[in-house]
Amino acid sequence: MEVKYLKDWETEMNTCIRCAYCFEGCPMFKEKGWESDTPRGKVVLAYGLFTGQLEPSDYIAEKILECTFCRDCIQRCSANISVPDILTAARADLVEAGFKYDSHVNLLNKVESSGNIFGKELKAPPHPGKTPVLLGCRFLERSDDAKRYVEILTKLGMEPMTVEDEVCCGMPPGVLGYKDKTNKQKALFRERFPYNEFICMCTTCVFFIRKSYTDLNPTYIIEEIYKRLPEANPRQLGLTVTYHDPCNVGRGMDMVKEPRKILKMIGCDYVEMETFGKEAECCGGGGGVLVTDRELSEKLARKRYRQALDTGAKILVTLCPTCELNLANMAKEDGNKIEVKNLLDLIWEALR
Amino acid sequence: MDLSSLRGIVGEDNVRDNVAELYVYGADASVHQGLPGLVVKPHSIEQVSQIMAYANSQKIPVIARGAGSGMSGHAVPMDTKSIILDMKAMNRILEIKPDDMYCRVEAGVVDDDLNRALKPYGITYPPSPASSRIATIGGEIANNASGLRSVKYGATREYVLGMRLVLANGDIIKLGAKTRVEAAGYQIHRLIVGSEGTLGIVVEATLKCVPIPKYRCLSVATFDQLEKAGDTIGAIIASGAEPSMLELMDDIAIKAVNKTLNMDLPEVEALIFFEADGKVKEAVDHEINSMRLIVEQHGGTVTATSYDLKERTKIFGGRKKLFAALSRYKDGWACTSLADDMAVPYTQMAATARKIHQIADKYGLIMTAYGHCGSGVMHTKILMDPSKKESWDAAKKAVDEIYDFVDEVGGITSGEHGIALSKAPSWKKTHGDMLPVMTKIKFALDPNNILNPGKLQDAPDDWLTATKIRYQML
Repeated sequence: MEVKYLKDWETEMNTCIRCAYCFEGCPMFKEKGWESDTPRGKVVLAYGLFTGQLEPSDYIAEKILECTFCRDCIQRCSANISVPDILTAARADLVEAGFKYDSHVNLLNKVESSGNIFGKELKAPPHPGKTPVLLGCRFLERSDDAKRYVEILTKLGMEPMTVEDEVCCGMPPGVLGYKDKTNKQKALFRERFPYNEFICMCTTCVFFIRKSYTDLNPTYIIEEIYKRLPEANPRQLGLTVTYHDPCNVGRGMDMVKEPRKILKMIGCDYVEMETFGKEAECCGGGGGVLVTDRELSEKLARKRYRQALDTGAKILVTLCPTCELNLANMAKEDGNKIEVKNLLDLIWEALR
Repeated sequence: MDLSSLRGIVGEDNVRDNVAELYVYGADASVHQGLPGLVVKPHSIEQVSQIMAYANSQKIPVIARGAGSGMSGHAVPMDTKSIILDMKAMNRILEIKPDDMYCRVEAGVVDDDLNRALKPYGITYPPSPASSRIATIGGEIANNASGLRSVKYGATREYVLGMRLVLANGDIIKLGAKTRVEAAGYQIHRLIVGSEGTLGIVVEATLKCVPIPKYRCLSVATFDQLEKAGDTIGAIIASGAEPSMLELMDDIAIKAVNKTLNMDLPEVEALIFFEADGKVKEAVDHEINSMRLIVEQHGGTVTATSYDLKERTKIFGGRKKLFAALSRYKDGWACTSLADDMAVPYTQMAATARKIHQIADKYGLIMTAYGHCGSGVMHTKILMDPSKKESWDAAKKAVDEIYDFVDEVGGITSGEHGIALSKAPSWKKTHGDMLPVMTKIKFALDPNNILNPGKLQDAPDDWLTATKIRYQML
């Protein structure tokens, strides 16, 4: 197999001392139990592909795709190896070698045809203003929610401006390893959303954009809210909740205290789950796993949901719309014993 | 190999023969890369017994594997027919007896998980190596692991009261006792500890526990000369002081941490971290103060002391992150586990560190000296460009020369990482007297040589060609 993308990660793969410290918190390893399910195992597979000691196979592709990019491994790593970056390169090489999967192709066709992951015409709710706000596909689809979330910014003294024709930022093809499609989508995104500085509503989009676009400088909506909320004198909701740290927020953007402080600002007590903050377990929705293997994704989500349930809280709050979806599905499956909400909903309640 | 026999023992889902999975299980934290024939995941002692009986009848090598975090190639198979026994699913804590100060666990229990379970009882299993977050008890026993606090708490062997062992032919035997002392026979369990999976498969262990100390105090001292730091270590031990940790970091280690992690450790020739712990604060104070006095008498300057966990974590941050720092010390260079773990007498500590630096300079490599010097353990790593054949040739010469020196000064090839493959040639060279006896013991217990063959005394004489090297050489 020709390795076009893994080549760039040779040094990083050599930097990995294979100490196995990454096993400790890996949700995939905890779920599946084989070493090919560990970050080290996957990096070893990528290295095998890179050196030609391994021929690409469906088995390898499956293993390389079975990672939620939760970044738990990075913080436990002796050498801070960015496993998701290595796996993204491996995925790209595997795609070039013809390892394409129907579920991926279907999703990417939707993005290509409609500009969003749902394959349907979606428009951002119009809101004239000065500061551009990017909603992201998942909030585009939740138009009523998005309207309220944009209003939060107005209530905090900003003049948010939505862009009706915004399209996908390129994260899905990027994460799944479809380089050409990623570049095409990124170009379209820039054309439709021609701003360098803006507020981003979606955790996944903001994280992807910060990593993948060198010229863009998005502010995550929570950063803005965190700064402005104290002066808005929010209503005290008097709720007790538990908070799920989305991987891209807690580990990815180092934002553990901000969501919790916001909860306090709006009069919510929070009860921590068995794992939280930088050690919070993943909901299983990231890294394309939800698309690649829904059943596996749900197994991870179920575990996380159980942790939330064990806190005794009646409301599970999170930020990432994918986490929200995955965990809400688990709550539904379990008779809605806990209500899953976006923190933005609570903030809106406190400001309305 | 008859896959159906093994699948019949452990179930379809617990056997893997896909080449990609095998390749993953052919790697560990060493420079070596092998390829087994099969990976099998047992869930019970009986399953291990049946697997061994089958493997013995077919003369198939079997390598027990915990986390695969060994640095010398312990878990790397030498034969493509080998069965890897992935022991991680045997992870039950079977018994905690705080009043008798012992616990009983399956071999796949992770060290930190065990200590988390012991904590509510106020007791701990203390040999914890740095890898305790993922290292299994079985792996630690196989390797006689120890760690940062071995100066006070010793190594694994001192804590293994007994075990259940599956022999090469599948027989299950019970060894040792549940008592602190024993004078009953050969105490074979003590021989099994450190035997690197060559004499039997440890499936269960009875482990001695100790009370969790109530107080812990850490100090750090700077030295303008490595020799003064070396003398201090010896003097602290000889004084009768009881440090719970006594660590050394040389100037290269300090520079690596500062450069790579943007820390601001004082750029002196050496740092010593010394710690005391115990139940009574006055006693801990006494230990720390007596060590501080010795440090000062030897020209060291104590720059920080704290009981507070956060403060201690900060003080020790540079040492804790040294691994990460070395891994990224020089672009394109890899941090390899070679000559990584020796033990020398206290009086030879500084001389050994100097020698390591000289040899590294001679061969164009980067090496640092650090470690649990209170136990005589000196760690290092060889940093080199792994893509160049010349680097490996240089590393090989450096390893030989370092171990020759270690032997000359009365040291030993491995303090706590074990011998396996990459240290075997040097160890065999200096410990020839022991080899025939070890071989006799090995064949008494494993006549078909199926238990982790090709390791220790049976290892090839050239580690560089013993297996494939994990790095791609140009």
